[in-house]
Amino acid sequence: GGAMSFLKRFPPPAEGVRHQQPDTEAVLAGRSLGAGTLYIAESRLSWLENSGVGFSLDYPTISLHAVSRDLNAYPWEHLYVMVNAKFGEEESKEAPMPEGEEEEDDSDDDAEPIAEFRFVPSDKSALEAMFSAMCECQALHPDPDDEDSDNDYEGEEYDVEAHELQQGDIPTFYTYEEGLSHLTAEGQATLERLEGMLAQSVSSQYNMAGVRTEDSIREFEDGMEVDIAPVVAGQFEDAEVDH
Amino acid sequence: MEVSHSVKERTIAENSLVILLQGLHGRVTTVDLRDESTATGRVTNVDAFMNVRLAEVTFTDRQGTVSRLDELFVTGRNIRYVHIPDEVDIRATIERQLQAIHRVRYFGGRDKGRKEFPRAKHK
Repeated sequence: GGAMSFLKRFPPPAEGVRHQQPDTEAVLAGRSLGAGTLYIAESRLSWLENSGVGFSLDYPTISLHAVSRDLNAYPWEHLYVMVNAKFGEEESKEAPMPEGEEEEDDSDDDAEPIAEFRFVPSDKSALEAMFSAMCECQALHPDPDDEDSDNDYEGEEYDVEAHELQQGDIPTFYTYEEGLSHLTAEGQATLERLEGMLAQSVSSQYNMAGVRTEDSIREFEDGMEVDIAPVVAGQFEDAEVDH
Repeated sequence: MEVSHSVKERTIAENSLVILLQGLHGRVTTVDLRDESTATGRVTNVDAFMNVRLAEVTFTDRQGTVSRLDELFVTGRNIRYVHIPDEVDIRATIERQLQAIHRVRYFGGRDKGRKEFPRAKHK
């Protein structure tokens, strides 16, 4: 007894439901909880028995999920979900896990409680979609406790411009020479890198519209022909100069 | 090689060794999980948070029971170790992934002139 005490009555999720699978049996630790509907929503994974009671799992508590078609391991094709929590006593809805589970203390089984759920849809062909929906939702919940929380890389690719422009609200255009002096060290490094890459690509094969290759520039060194486009390094000058 | 469509994820990858794991795309790899189970399968995706997706998986749970799984998704937080296959040249793999990221970031067509990419993301 008590194994079903974590089942509660609640309304099915209304928002962000990526996939919904009716006629799905839920099995916990080999024990069937009945038939119901699985809701794979962005906020949490929920299962509601047809009678209206069920449970939810928070994605941070889910360590893995998988599609199992190995009938030797389990007689029905299903979605397997492994959860870092104890079930059967109390459902942890909000707090991802009880104390002590965060530790890398897994030499002892008790320190790493695991609950194994199986969701067996009557429509086996839906397993792919269920699996994919779960992958998408899991990706929406990256680990906040990640040690490598130096992941503050929001839009770093654009930060160089932000630095350059941080003096004025309205971006102004610089001539090539003026612009150089306004570059931060970062900006300068980026410019060098870009120019290097451009020089490499230009010198390889094609004449891109208006750009001379290294070879053709050399040909005209005696000044016979006016450059339609400036030399490689100043390629950006055309775009930037404000007449 | 697969490069994320997300600016943030590309930048995270570029600045961590996740980029190496992303270079294992298509390779059969063994992942040791935090709970001592292991999964061996073909890498189909690794995102910037080190969530790993494997196909055709042989899964050994912590009791040692072996089963096969068609597809497996394990969260980065629950991965203890990823076995890089011996034949993988780690440095070359990282460089290749960085190049792929830079191609996406900068000149889309810098290497190919007017030729189309085999896998054109835009247009």
